[in-house]
Amino acid sequence: MTTTARLKFEGITKTFPSVKALSDATFSIKPGEVHALLGENGAGKSTLLRILSGVSRQTSGEFYVDGKLATFKSPEDARRAGIAMIHQELQQIPNLTVAQNMFLGHPLKTAGGLLVNRREQEKRAAAALAMIDPSIDPSTPIKNLKVAQRQIVEIARALLENAKIVAMDEPTSSLTPAEFESLAVIIEKMAASGVAIIYVSHKMDEVFRICHQGTVMRDGNVVGTVDLRTAAQSDVIAMMVGRELMQEEHNSFVKDDVRVEVRGLSSAVTHVRDVSFTVRRGEVVGIAGLVGSGRTELLRLLAGVDKIGSGEISIDGRALKLTNPRSAISAGIGLLPEERKREGIIPMRPVSLNMALPSLRKFVKVGVVRHSTVNNTAETLLKRVNLRPFQIDRPIKLFSGGNQQKAIIARWLAAGSEILLFDEPTRGIDVGAKSEIYHLIENLAAEGKSVIVVSSELPEVIRLSDRVIVMRNGRIAAQLERHELTEQAIVSHAVGDAEPNTHSSTQEHTHV
Amino acid sequence: MSDIAAETPKRSSKLFSSFSLRDAGTLIGLIIIMAVFAALVPGFLSERNLINILQQSSINACIALGMTLVIISGGIDLSVGPTAAISAVLTAALLVTGVPVPVALLAGLGIGAFCGLVNGVLVAYVGLQPFIVTLGTLSTYRAIALIYTGGNPVLGVPQSFRSLFNGNVAGIPNSVIIVAVVAFGAWVLLKKTPIGEYLLAVGGNEEASYVAGVPIALTKITAYVISGVLAALASFILIGRLGAAEPILGNLWELDAIAAAAIGGASLMGGKGSIVGTILGAIILGALRNGLTLMNVQAFYQLLATGLIILVAMMIDRATRGRG
Repeated sequence: MTTTARLKFEGITKTFPSVKALSDATFSIKPGEVHALLGENGAGKSTLLRILSGVSRQTSGEFYVDGKLATFKSPEDARRAGIAMIHQELQQIPNLTVAQNMFLGHPLKTAGGLLVNRREQEKRAAAALAMIDPSIDPSTPIKNLKVAQRQIVEIARALLENAKIVAMDEPTSSLTPAEFESLAVIIEKMAASGVAIIYVSHKMDEVFRICHQGTVMRDGNVVGTVDLRTAAQSDVIAMMVGRELMQEEHNSFVKDDVRVEVRGLSSAVTHVRDVSFTVRRGEVVGIAGLVGSGRTELLRLLAGVDKIGSGEISIDGRALKLTNPRSAISAGIGLLPEERKREGIIPMRPVSLNMALPSLRKFVKVGVVRHSTVNNTAETLLKRVNLRPFQIDRPIKLFSGGNQQKAIIARWLAAGSEILLFDEPTRGIDVGAKSEIYHLIENLAAEGKSVIVVSSELPEVIRLSDRVIVMRNGRIAAQLERHELTEQAIVSHAVGDAEPNTHSSTQEHTHV
Repeated sequence: MSDIAAETPKRSSKLFSSFSLRDAGTLIGLIIIMAVFAALVPGFLSERNLINILQQSSINACIALGMTLVIISGGIDLSVGPTAAISAVLTAALLVTGVPVPVALLAGLGIGAFCGLVNGVLVAYVGLQPFIVTLGTLSTYRAIALIYTGGNPVLGVPQSFRSLFNGNVAGIPNSVIIVAVVAFGAWVLLKKTPIGEYLLAVGGNEEASYVAGVPIALTKITAYVISGVLAALASFILIGRLGAAEPILGNLWELDAIAAAAIGGASLMGGKGSIVGTILGAIILGALRNGLTLMNVQAFYQLLATGLIILVAMMIDRATRGRG
């Protein structure tokens, strides 16, 4: 390998009118290196990636690709210089096919140069996809794919472009452990061929598993670069947050009385079939399973979003008739959706009113919304969830993902919901906010609320749950008590290779 | 970050929050246009002419208020002109046959509400796109008005009705007073009632609103019904002025109304819009036409000026908002 760095940042600084987002970032990445960019949300990682990919320009400082000064005026310039970005928020066009998306902006032409050579595009797309997931058909529209598959398409696109530098922003936030493993192999292969990889992730296990070096950022400054092959995880986390995070123990607040009872629930629109379980007061029930196992779809049934085909849900012994989310909300059920941007927030409205939206009628007197009451409630509840910055009349779109999530939690506190459904509560959220949300969930349980948490992160499920329901193919594969909870047990039930006695044909009926 | 958290929550004053920065921009636009005409046209700023401008803007303002609510909900109402025409010919026909004014009035407003209801149901329950629905009803309602009258104007609207909409109180035209009251009502609806918040929520993110339990269909239908009622009300102002109801009245009203709402800051993507802004937008268009007419500018050039003002307003809006 040559001694020239593939990518070298020198004193990159970016100031916005009100804040310095990035200050004097200096570090370099060698060819074939997998380099983690670590730090909490707002640390400056995204700003740096935006500059690298030509989306925005630095205020001062410069960076070099293979020793050559980079002066990108547009994302297209960066692309030509061999930089590929894999975004956290997928930037794809739903109605176009996989292949069309992969060649978006620079399609392959036929010999005449006038027409798009679709066949060749699909052939090359298929070849790139085959390296990761051959099951994806390049001619299907993107909208028919699951989020994890779309992510794979993005990665395949970078492979296709023969990029020299591939930056991945939270590439695995929606991948299952198995999918992550194949991604890890791809990354290794790319690195072996001399590609420099920048890897941004909040999942420390993954980072330590696949990255060689890591640059830690905090509040726009580079704290330092560490060799991840030798460093200890706790030291790196301490560098990121500027304090030590304790590995916390699970606390249980389960009461005796059953609050929610679900019997033989099947969906009218998805593959969720014959699901039965109970949730007690103060209990946190985790739902684990592979992507596509029906976890999210089950929550949507409980929240009245999806239509129920058959079966029954009762709360405190009374059978519910759920026809829409409204009826679920008045029964005391609150959903924190998986896709916060699409299903959670009203971007342009203030945090306070995002909070008050489902319970607006509580704040109405003689037909008029009492904004002073809304604000008082918002102040109390948003303080409780520790909204930062604490500006309750600021549009919610200006807050970080973690703080948007806190606002949605406050929404259900305001509505007085007793049953809270959390779908991937910490996806894309930094380490600090994550631990705050864990504490909030515990506090809710301690107050006697019943919580159901869907999560793809096994340590999270185990950390939070009193009991875990493992789903597979739309059905319950197993229910594991607290003392049975290990990552291995969950995974083996999720993929269906558990020992024969629980993996029998009657498994759906064994745990009622 | 931690210092920000320690700050006490800052809230803008009530007055300021109801008159946003964007509204201030629209107001500045209006002042500039007024200043230009004041310099070019003697007597432009006279009390008489200012009242004229308000009166000439009142019909468009009335339509634009309903349009603003529909646009905020994420929709559009192209059928306001023909809705006004149906309502006008029905009301006039009832009045001519001797039906008491209040009854005819309610019938006219009722048919406006019904036209809006049809739009709303097709959008909210059948799930058709608002542009297509109201494009369809644009033709349908116009055809109904023409068929009902055989294409002839309904003449002889009684004086009692005309003076109600064409009279004045202490020199201020009734139409201006009516629209001011309606504007206040729309402002209260948008700023103070749950339905206003629901409109902003549904237009801002329909999926999230549904999950949060917002009554989506009811909210959308309300917007279209209000738009229909205000179209009917606008037609009363016109037939009050003319003394007759033509089945072809209200042609292209939808475009003026959309222009006023957009100049006033409504986003055609939904979720954003201002009652104050819409009123100012309608007055900008009214002042422009008034000034150009006083300068004896030909109609063709007036159309050109209107078009350019809309484009310039939108470009300024875009430039001042930046790309985020």
